[in-house]
Amino acid sequence: MIYPEPRLLPCGDLAVSVELADEINREVNARVLALEYLIQQKGIAGVTETLPTYRSLLVYYDPAVIGADELHATLRALVAEARPEVLPPARIVEVPCAYGGELGFELETAAGKLGLAPEEMVRLHAGADYHVYFVGFTPGLPYMTGMPERLNIPRLVNPRTKTPAGSVAIGGVQCCIYSVESPGGFWVLGRTPVRLYDPAAADPILLRAGDQVRFRSIERAEYDAIAAEVAAGRFRPRVTEAR
Amino acid sequence: MSLRVLEAGPLTTVQDLGRAGQLRVGIPPSGPIDRDAFVLGNRLVDNPDGAAGLECTLMGPGLEFSDARWVAVTGAEAPVTLDGAEMPRWASFPVRAGGILKIGAARAGVRVYLAVSGGLATPAALGSRATYLRGGLGGMNGRAIRKGDVLPLGTRPGQARERRVRAERIPGHGGEPDIATILGPQADRFSAAGIAALFEGPYEMLPQSDRMGARFKGPRIEHTRGHDIISDGIALGAIQVIGDGQPIVLLVDRQTAGGYTKIGAVCSYEIGRVGQMKPGQKLRFKQVSVSEAHAGLTARRAALDSAIA
Repeated sequence: MIYPEPRLLPCGDLAVSVELADEINREVNARVLALEYLIQQKGIAGVTETLPTYRSLLVYYDPAVIGADELHATLRALVAEARPEVLPPARIVEVPCAYGGELGFELETAAGKLGLAPEEMVRLHAGADYHVYFVGFTPGLPYMTGMPERLNIPRLVNPRTKTPAGSVAIGGVQCCIYSVESPGGFWVLGRTPVRLYDPAAADPILLRAGDQVRFRSIERAEYDAIAAEVAAGRFRPRVTEAR
Repeated sequence: MSLRVLEAGPLTTVQDLGRAGQLRVGIPPSGPIDRDAFVLGNRLVDNPDGAAGLECTLMGPGLEFSDARWVAVTGAEAPVTLDGAEMPRWASFPVRAGGILKIGAARAGVRVYLAVSGGLATPAALGSRATYLRGGLGGMNGRAIRKGDVLPLGTRPGQARERRVRAERIPGHGGEPDIATILGPQADRFSAAGIAALFEGPYEMLPQSDRMGARFKGPRIEHTRGHDIISDGIALGAIQVIGDGQPIVLLVDRQTAGGYTKIGAVCSYEIGRVGQMKPGQKLRFKQVSVSEAHAGLTARRAALDSAIA
């Protein structure tokens, strides 16, 4: 539920967490992003950085510029105004994905577990609209939901120690794209040739909180072609505006 | 104008005061773990506080200077030599063109800082030269420096002269420090006994500690209902407690978000002391309120401003 009043939780001497609810849903997350947006728009002196997650906004501040009491009062007032309608239109980012085979090495097992044909699983996964709640843990990694309930699958019992960057994977109601090689407990259905994090690029991050993602199922040949474009720094993902 | 790396040391990275504004895309700030030592080094050689320098871990590098600069070595207690002659720490001194500076093994503390007048001029990434190792970002091609690297220097050194940090302001790195700590954000997920255990301690630093986080072993910190939460943001110094009831203090290269309970956070101005602890050394978390912490931070900033004679 959404709390009647936000909880302001101290996170050390330089940050406070503004927690709006104790659940994961789009409405709550939209309010978190709206609160962040209002803070950016109003430029509160002393607020140095913000970090949105599912149901809370971590606000960093310099106590030499703004005291905790004044900051808390300002944030409480902004929470009251932080409605999803204040947000600018979301971006829709198309992410090409090669499902199954050596790149999506757990598609068949996951489909079997859910009693689905692999092709049906791909159709359901690529047919959904995904919402990026926030980006984090590793650089550029999106936390997303949006899958049909039919694809709800328990996480791996034994997490992998290494998951290749670009792996598109699901667990529970969540979908994520690994941005760097990392351990993982989600089922890998496919891989995108697009880099979600490219430290050599001027703008290294593809996805941001509030974005919508649509997967486009591609064959291996197109995967290789896009991978070559990405390596040459020529690939530009298709980005449109929602609404 | 450059430094040639003759020996790199086990983990020597280029750092400045860190990368701001990127937490929301999953990129931590990085920067020096012992911020005060780093800043004093820069002030000793008349650099801006944020000029890039080196953070050395346990053992420093050997460097050859292409032109004359002033330098200062701060942080952990390690021997410093210039062309074979022992040099002072926490003080500025000149290096001639062709001079060879060596920083040896740390006797107390872990992280040694080298500031060079004019700063290091490796390329900035997202507004910072700080090295983020896991993300391969900043510094020397996103990695620690290696033997044979040539580190470019800034072209505008300031007006350096002989300066030193007052003897009474040079921190020691031994003993069992009390570390100011604020409860929250998930303190309500721990039992009263668990919170009492945290502040009773002591906690021993484990060797599996790095720039992401410092791991500790000590009295078990008891949860009331599990250690999983809906993932949220992780602040500097956050004390994460997982199922084993043992604390991890998250540092400058931390993951930006995570789904485990955080009982509290070490105050920002104590991070340097935690980061200078050696495995096996113990600390006690000492509870302070937010307003006490802000008073502590103000005092620490004032002490920093009057540290150089």
